[in-house]
Amino acid sequence: MSSSHGSGKPPADRADPLQHARSPNRTFGPQPPGEQFEVIGKRLRKVDGAGKATGEALYTDDLALPGMLHGKTLRSPHPHARIKRIDTTKAEALAGVFGVVTGAEMPARFGVIPWTPDETALCIDKVRFIGDPVAAVAAVDEETATRALDLIEVDYEQLPALFDPAEALARKDVLVHEGNKHGNITKEVLLEFGDPDGALAKSDFVVEDDYFFHGTAHAPIETHVALARYGSDGVLTLWSATQIPHYVHRELAKVLDLPAPQIRVIQPCLGGAFGGKSDPFSLEFCAAKLAMKTRRPVKFLYTREEEFYAHRGRHPMAMRFKTGLSKDGRITAVDSKILIDGGAYSSFGLVTTYYSGQLLTGPHQIPNYRFHSTRVFTNKPPCGPKRGHGSVQPRFALEVQLDRLAEKAGLDPIEVRRRNFQGAYTTTVNGQRVTSNGFDQCLDVVEKASGWKERRGKLGRGRGLGVAGSMYISGTNYCIYPNDMPQAGIQIKVDRSGLVTVFSGASDIGQGSNSVAAYIVAEELGMRVEDVRVVAADSDLCPVDLGAYSSRITFMVGNAAVHAARKLRKQVQAAVAQEWGIEPERVVLAGGFAFDKDDRGKAITSAKAFQITEAVLETLGSTGSYNTPNLGGDYRGGTIGASPAYSFTACVAEVEVDEETGIVTVPHVWTAHDCGRALAPVLVEGQIEGSAYMGFGEVFLEHHDVNRYGLHARPNLLDYTIPTSVDCPEFHASYVESLDPEGPYGAKEAGEGPLHPTIPAIANAIHDACGIWLTKLPFTPAKVVAALQARDAARAAGGGANGTANGRAH
Amino acid sequence: MTAVTHLLRLDVNGSTVDVAAPAHWTLLEVLRYRLALTGSKQGCDKGDCGACTVLFDGKARLACITLAADAVGHRVTTIEGLVTPAGLDVLQRTFDEAGALQCGFCQPGMIVAARACLDRKPDATRAEIKEALASNLCRCTGYTKIFEAVEQAVRAGKAAHVGGPASLLPSGDATPAPASGAAR
Amino acid sequence: MLRLEPFAFARPGSVDEAVALLAKHGRAARLIAGGTDVMPNLKHGLYEPEVVIGLSAVAELRGIALEGGGAAANGSDGELVIGAMTTLAEVESHPLVLARAPGLAQAARSVAGPTQRTMGTLGGNVCLDTRCVWINQSHFWRKSLGYCLKKDGTVCHVVQGGKSCVAAASNDTATLLCALGATLVIRSARGVRAVAIRDFYKPDGAMNQRLEPDELLTQIRVPAPRRSSGASWSGYAKLRARNSIDFPKLSIAVAWTTDRVGAIDDATLVVSAIAAVPRVIAGIADLARGGRADDPALIARLGEQARKVTIPLTNIDGDTGWRRAMVPVFVKRAFAAARMATTG
Repeated sequence: MSSSHGSGKPPADRADPLQHARSPNRTFGPQPPGEQFEVIGKRLRKVDGAGKATGEALYTDDLALPGMLHGKTLRSPHPHARIKRIDTTKAEALAGVFGVVTGAEMPARFGVIPWTPDETALCIDKVRFIGDPVAAVAAVDEETATRALDLIEVDYEQLPALFDPAEALARKDVLVHEGNKHGNITKEVLLEFGDPDGALAKSDFVVEDDYFFHGTAHAPIETHVALARYGSDGVLTLWSATQIPHYVHRELAKVLDLPAPQIRVIQPCLGGAFGGKSDPFSLEFCAAKLAMKTRRPVKFLYTREEEFYAHRGRHPMAMRFKTGLSKDGRITAVDSKILIDGGAYSSFGLVTTYYSGQLLTGPHQIPNYRFHSTRVFTNKPPCGPKRGHGSVQPRFALEVQLDRLAEKAGLDPIEVRRRNFQGAYTTTVNGQRVTSNGFDQCLDVVEKASGWKERRGKLGRGRGLGVAGSMYISGTNYCIYPNDMPQAGIQIKVDRSGLVTVFSGASDIGQGSNSVAAYIVAEELGMRVEDVRVVAADSDLCPVDLGAYSSRITFMVGNAAVHAARKLRKQVQAAVAQEWGIEPERVVLAGGFAFDKDDRGKAITSAKAFQITEAVLETLGSTGSYNTPNLGGDYRGGTIGASPAYSFTACVAEVEVDEETGIVTVPHVWTAHDCGRALAPVLVEGQIEGSAYMGFGEVFLEHHDVNRYGLHARPNLLDYTIPTSVDCPEFHASYVESLDPEGPYGAKEAGEGPLHPTIPAIANAIHDACGIWLTKLPFTPAKVVAALQARDAARAAGGGANGTANGRAH
Repeated sequence: MTAVTHLLRLDVNGSTVDVAAPAHWTLLEVLRYRLALTGSKQGCDKGDCGACTVLFDGKARLACITLAADAVGHRVTTIEGLVTPAGLDVLQRTFDEAGALQCGFCQPGMIVAARACLDRKPDATRAEIKEALASNLCRCTGYTKIFEAVEQAVRAGKAAHVGGPASLLPSGDATPAPASGAAR
Repeated sequence: MLRLEPFAFARPGSVDEAVALLAKHGRAARLIAGGTDVMPNLKHGLYEPEVVIGLSAVAELRGIALEGGGAAANGSDGELVIGAMTTLAEVESHPLVLARAPGLAQAARSVAGPTQRTMGTLGGNVCLDTRCVWINQSHFWRKSLGYCLKKDGTVCHVVQGGKSCVAAASNDTATLLCALGATLVIRSARGVRAVAIRDFYKPDGAMNQRLEPDELLTQIRVPAPRRSSGASWSGYAKLRARNSIDFPKLSIAVAWTTDRVGAIDDATLVVSAIAAVPRVIAGIADLARGGRADDPALIARLGEQARKVTIPLTNIDGDTGWRRAMVPVFVKRAFAAARMATTG
């Protein structure tokens, strides 16, 4: 845990960072509202911590309603088949069954991205992967519902199935989605900036090789669960374990053909998501539809196996990368070609395809750049956004190539990254505006913390250190559906008792967004955090928020909270000043009191201050909102990946390679993350540690794929091995505070960025330890052993130290 | 075959409760869906994740793969049972203080497993803590702050032992790691 | 939630009651000890019992003791007797086990994770069902596959055209107990029998245990080391994905005795998590006799002997060639583990 103030201050020639930010909204800069920060930056407990520690916190499956029925989903046993007939008669006749629903009753297509609506609540004509939902039952209990599924008759005509994305790309005779304009291609993006071919031709060093990033799953410990009630007032209420209640609200209206005001979506306490709950899912529609059909509340709780079928995990990517370096260690160009395995549906795939290229242009200065990314459909569970959406995979390739180039140029890997540091307040080659940038500080922190200079090369046989860097977005100015309204909003209500209630649309998925909202409002109003209550993610009560994705909430909702609370703060200061006959600037709000700066004995409680204000004004309340400035390159897709601020991360990993077994252990991971101002340091550290953990798991242990029949190979938490307490490295989290001009008090994101460099840092450390380059994830012990044998064979043949693993060397 | 229902007399969190439940119901199902003790969570369906961990005569046990009928005659303690009129269990406080609670879903099981560990070994070392929690998966934290929370509880226990009440440092005074970040 | 199919539940209070229930229900019954293996298998529909018989209340099945010795103060000449319902947590830390069969403590400690070991029993681990990547999945999953030889189907997905199930013995303690030459005591309403654990398993993954439907494993008996021995040793090494929870990808146990000058006079090496039966590697005693357990060349020869006859299949996740190559490595580690925890 260390912090250092990075190079976040704008250069002198840009004295007004907000001018640079071109924000159409008011943002308030990095300074505290009062004399100093009272709440922000302190090591506080979460507002919901005690409730979670005692088991009081209510998650969706903890809710039960009188007369509630239980739903179950019939799923396709075939990876690709036409549905010829569905007969639900026998299931409906089973005692205890109250309702059955099939796809024909909900024909409207939906999709989280409005441009690619290719899902239905239940399959209608075709099934596209094993586990695709076909019908659903509501019954008196789960066992009866399960038995009813066996009574549903479905005739399938099996079709050839595509599991290999390269085959899917080539085949025109087998289409996962008929009517798709480009065969099995869901999205193809080719963007070129500068002259990559020319620059590569002139480069002193060029490395070109193939990388593979495998599929991985989110595996939140809470599976998907939804509970619907259709009231006699005609209001449909859905409680769901979702991280995008607003999009669920919109898609429910569409699919159920109900007016949106008749629908209320509530996200209860959520047991982990990581991007896996950021699509609308079949169970949400089925629970709602069956509640309407049966007039009884209906709950669906997915089994762990169903959670793996719902998937939306990390896209497998086959990546060819070519990168050039000059003798003095400057990157000359990057050229990538990426084939993305999308699985059966589009999900966020349009964005994934862009992100696989658009988010790679920092923190290293890349003067010439091309990426050509193609996402294809296959008959597998659909991929989507997992923590570090779209950019974790190419980041792995690029950072390993940087180390390969550093070796060729005879440069220290940290030094190479320093030489290519793009700096703060700049524009990337693809037109993204970069504001604060503390990546250089991050490198300093991990270099020192890991003992890089003293220890690297001296750790002994089989041990090594590796480094990598990365950038990520703090929200995106690409809104999923085009509109001119704010991307985030906050409403504040003030009670005469001194309680302030903050209504936030944001989804607290464990990252602590409710706590951050409370901290910000307490800071602005000079209150004790205990006197601020947060009501969140209820479409009847809270302003719209777009959801917990793209690392947007602290930045956007945080700004909205500052905006709303600052208005109220000024009102309170003015009213109290008037009461006391002093200038408003003299009224200090802090620690649960209002007092006179020049006469500190003159103090009243926050409650009294609110009462005075209410008396002179009116019922107190406030709203605030945030919208991104206009950002992005002036080309098609130029706004995708454009963020109001970028976070930056540097990571050093230490590994020990057991050359006998190929088993790699990772004793330490040091991560330094530039999150702008750390509004809540404990939460920031938690995000950094959790990100590094998740990346570590992907390197060695986790693998989502299908077997030769198209069945998920490991759809449970025994076979899908996520790290246990005795597998993990010691995670050392540090943050760097490069105060951002646009973020709330200078804050940026911390939830996704820190994952990225973990993976290539480990790959690079393995090379440092034993001289092998691993390019195909996951790094199973068998692959490590094979690479070590190749290394030894090459050495024996006089080929030097560079054995190359499971891939071609160039 | 049709379900057979038993009337079970269970000892849960210090109370004797009579509950009618089908013979094939698990303890987790009875706790959550009959007794409304929803603190114990369902995560994996079959004993792979530890979110359902309860105490069985003081020892950690996976409620999702324990038949409710097999709980008869044992003292069952759930996360709710760690709260007494005197307040929260020290682990419940330190998990909150240390920032070990992110989504919180694994934590009832984790805290219960940690309680079993400290009951057996009040001065558990970090290595022993790691080993004791190795049946409980957490997907949010990387376990770092969980280990710190249990270590805080160990320290609080020691402080209580040498005299005076267990004093809990507020989070702001938690022992910071060296700025170098080395070897925490 | 994944729910269980209905069954009746019986909870005998004694062995007599238990075997009477077994005699009554036979194949319709399923015993449950700690539940850590049976319960997931029930949830996956691998068994469809009418009656589940829970053994948790049978107190006489618990406990660890020495029997038949008494001459030596440290009990080194007695037979180590472990009740079938003794938990793995008790086995891994019990002074008698640590003193007499440290390898058994190591094997017990490597089963699953700490909570599973607090629940799981030694008898349950000995009677653990075989495992395969194609079988330990939900009913929906197996049905989508068209089932397999082990349950409900006619094909093997591991061996093309295979007619006999190759699901693998995955019980850590069984490997070690085979190395130690343990005996199992089995009760039924018909009487008592003792069987050498090496004869208990049969090469059929569908049911790899020679246990009749009315029989109950009651004791595991570990023989005293031969009196001529200077010392006896046992050790266990396990290859797995994670350091907790997981079943073995390779399970290797060694046991040997040394004469009064420290030379090996008998040795056994067992390899499991390969096929339905833990395999006692032939020819090990002859190779080892007269050698020393700290001789790397000897250990390498023993490892190679084991590797030669070990042919991993795709029944268990993990590269088969690599798993085979790991045999000598884990033989070495099992010897090292044994020497770390020596007996007197």
